[in-house]
Amino acid sequence: MIKASLDESPLRANFFVVWSEVVKNLKFLMAYPVIFVFWTIFPFFWFLTFIFQGQAIVGGLQSASFAEIAGTPEYIPFIILGAILNGYVLTSLYGVGESIRREAYQGTLDYLLSSPCNKAFILIGKAVSESISSTVYAVIQLIVCIVFFGIELTLGVIMPIILILILMILGLYGIALMLAALSLQFKQAHDLAHTLEYVFYLFSPVRYPVQALPFWAQIIGRFLPLTYALIAVRSLVLLKQNFPAIYEQIFLLFVIDVLAIFLGFYLFNWMEKRTKKSGSISQF
Amino acid sequence: MEIHVFLRQVEDQLLVYNRDNDVYSIQTINLTKVFKKRKHKGIFGFLKKKAEKETSESSKDVTVALDHVNSEIRSGELFGLLGPNGAGKTTLVKCLSTILIPDEGTAIVNGFDIRKQTSLVRASLGLVVGGERTLYWKLTARDNLMYFASLYKMPRREAKDRVDELLALMNLSDRADERLEDYSTGMRQKIAVARALLHDPPILLLDEPTLGLDPTFSRQIRNQIRELCKKEGRTILLATHYMKEADELCDRVAIINDGKIAAIDTPERLKAMVKENELIEVTCHNPPHDTENYLRPLCPDVEIITLIRGDEAKGMPSRIKLIGGNAEKHVGTVVDALRKTNAQITSVNISMPTLEDAFIKITGAKLAEGGAT
Amino acid sequence: MKKIEEETRRLKQISCPSGLSLANLKAELRAIWECNIKEWKIELAYPINFTRQCVEPLIFLLPILVYGLVLLGGSRFSESLMRLVGTGDIVTFTFTGYIIMGFIGTAVWAMGFSIRKEQWYGTLESIYVTPTSRLSLVLGMALHSVVHQSLGTLFEVGVIYAVFGLVLRIEGILPALAIFALMMFALGGFGIFISSLALIFKEGWIISEGFHSVLMILSPVAYPLTVLPTIAQQASTVFPTAPALVGMRSFLIENYTPEILGNVFLHLLVLDAAWILFGILIFYLTDSYVRKTGTLGKY
Repeated sequence: MIKASLDESPLRANFFVVWSEVVKNLKFLMAYPVIFVFWTIFPFFWFLTFIFQGQAIVGGLQSASFAEIAGTPEYIPFIILGAILNGYVLTSLYGVGESIRREAYQGTLDYLLSSPCNKAFILIGKAVSESISSTVYAVIQLIVCIVFFGIELTLGVIMPIILILILMILGLYGIALMLAALSLQFKQAHDLAHTLEYVFYLFSPVRYPVQALPFWAQIIGRFLPLTYALIAVRSLVLLKQNFPAIYEQIFLLFVIDVLAIFLGFYLFNWMEKRTKKSGSISQF
Repeated sequence: MEIHVFLRQVEDQLLVYNRDNDVYSIQTINLTKVFKKRKHKGIFGFLKKKAEKETSESSKDVTVALDHVNSEIRSGELFGLLGPNGAGKTTLVKCLSTILIPDEGTAIVNGFDIRKQTSLVRASLGLVVGGERTLYWKLTARDNLMYFASLYKMPRREAKDRVDELLALMNLSDRADERLEDYSTGMRQKIAVARALLHDPPILLLDEPTLGLDPTFSRQIRNQIRELCKKEGRTILLATHYMKEADELCDRVAIINDGKIAAIDTPERLKAMVKENELIEVTCHNPPHDTENYLRPLCPDVEIITLIRGDEAKGMPSRIKLIGGNAEKHVGTVVDALRKTNAQITSVNISMPTLEDAFIKITGAKLAEGGAT
Repeated sequence: MKKIEEETRRLKQISCPSGLSLANLKAELRAIWECNIKEWKIELAYPINFTRQCVEPLIFLLPILVYGLVLLGGSRFSESLMRLVGTGDIVTFTFTGYIIMGFIGTAVWAMGFSIRKEQWYGTLESIYVTPTSRLSLVLGMALHSVVHQSLGTLFEVGVIYAVFGLVLRIEGILPALAIFALMMFALGGFGIFISSLALIFKEGWIISEGFHSVLMILSPVAYPLTVLPTIAQQASTVFPTAPALVGMRSFLIENYTPEILGNVFLHLLVLDAAWILFGILIFYLTDSYVRKTGTLGKY
């Protein structure tokens, strides 16, 4: 008699799946403190080179030419905010995007797929755990930057920043879901993740304002959630604008989220059915 | 166990002789290996109290994988190493192949000391391990073998001829230029055996070579092992937990458990340690809970009572073995006692002892499970 | 003598070159070459990955250049850089530094991760039981990476020259290559050191990534060393990339004034000897350690 699944309400069961996945992934992370320390500390090394480059080229901490495009002469906080938010891109692409391949490599994918739960909630669980760890890294990095690099953060911007981050994460994980779907069929998930990373790196305003790019590159950037998130966060923190000034970015982020999540789930379900039929699902 | 009479240094090789003046290909001298278990403390491990840390560093944190192992393998012998998982078979093979450095003792392989002459030891042996991933799946069989031939320092022309010869021997010439990812598990294992033979080594170390293979491929591999030893005169050390494999192939078998060699002899003599009337096997479904303790008071002179559980879901019965003492006379008592429970007896045998029975009698442990029970 | 021959014949003789003989050296060199070929074959079996790795250096270079141009309002001339090193062309300055980026990757990733990669393939133990030196395997991976990076660099030179234009002294190319070669020897020793660390630590990629990040800061790729804190400038002299870049730019860029005076060639020779000896020493110590602890095949 299959008792458990009949008694449990679907909502509660799905929540439990998400919760279990979150707990499992966070336990993995806690079992590897070196990984935790790495993702907290090493992003600093990656943006320090840009800070030194800026100082060599400009001869100081501010650039009037930079201010004409970015709206602020202070390029160091500009770079730092870009690096911190870019961290979410890395963990979403490499964390969730490769999670399916990791399960296949460990031999647990078959068991996950043959379980009666909705697989999408397993992915949601993975996404939530990655978001939690990314946020912990980001908070630590931000505190260090406030202390050592002079970034000013007032209390009034914290809630809007949290909203922007949530919207950005939703959009990123919609894209990561599409990546996970493709990785079911094409085994080289790492290459797909890298390619997406390059797209974000080149076309989002991580290191420079999006206006610095040629027109065709700016169009590509407009489809990426990181672009709007960065514009919005920098407007609040660096340009000291108020919340209504970023309504456009919030709205566009919301639209991208809906599209990305819908496409992500649809593609994932379609690919899962297709690869189950072909029998290539647990090969790696 | 035969004791070596003397060692003789001839150029850079040590010759190890036994009492009958046979030369030993492999000799282990007090070989010992101890592993310390690593504690994974995790991200909050530094919060562990000091007292807890001190008590955790006890003898339970070390595993004695090899415990002063002394053994000799004659030149041209097919020598079996039989024991359950965790007995120390793989550790011994790794020490002999120089992958692992022992903590105490040493071994002489083809006249070379494993501690001091590692290159020459490696050139003297070929290693085959069970398991899938020991070759490059994205390369063809030929590419794999040619690459390893270069690592065995074979000249290119010689390597090419040898690779062709081995591929023909394994009946894989027509698939030599296909990637290994398209091969079956058995075919990959054949290539692994071919790799071990590339440089024509006098000694082969085989660590569970038929692990995971179906019966057809297992039989092919076993036949090949037999030929390599008998026709080509190679010395072979075969580490396995398959009793039947050791019984069928080996000239002598060493029984190993918990890092110690409990006995070394021919399979016949080992089986003869269990006398016929000393072995009763009762096959039944649904044996009683804690069978050993249930039957023990009824058969006080029987040395070993052991239950080997079958897979009831698949309809495979369990086996209760009584070994030693005068087990034969307790048949009626045991049958009556089992009938009082829910056990359904399917057969009672006063059987010919197998190597497994010898193993159980000598070590007190079961071959199917790891370690002593 | 006859009796000895008879006795040794009972143990089958093996023919395997060993020690300091010419035959052994040839065999080790052949193993290095075959390892390189093996890596090429495996890499080309993943065409998407191969294509991506060819393009990747450009992907990471472009933001560095665009960022610099944005700071100057679109101009490629920086007065500040001119004051520091005698040349204000940020594109040529940055690109001549960036050339070595891929080769830093050779040391920390290709060499540093070589043994790890074999563990991942599952072939490490199979390789370890052969009589070929492990160092030859690491060098084989390094050879593959150097060739790979060299091809990538030529591609980058073509693209950057076409898009931005480069102003280089042609007569400086040969001496710059000599300095580059000296740098590669020291980086090779460094790579051997990294490969031994990656063998001990389970999360070996963190070691490689960590050293890569540190080396990126201490190497004057996109900025002169003088902008670094003093302690970082001193630390940079321990690694070959800093003196090599200073030396290469001296030959390749007109009016370039090295911020570090001194004999670059001598500095690099000392680093070569130091890193090669240090790397080999640590390599053999860790090799012995993992064989003692039994963690060789574990991943």
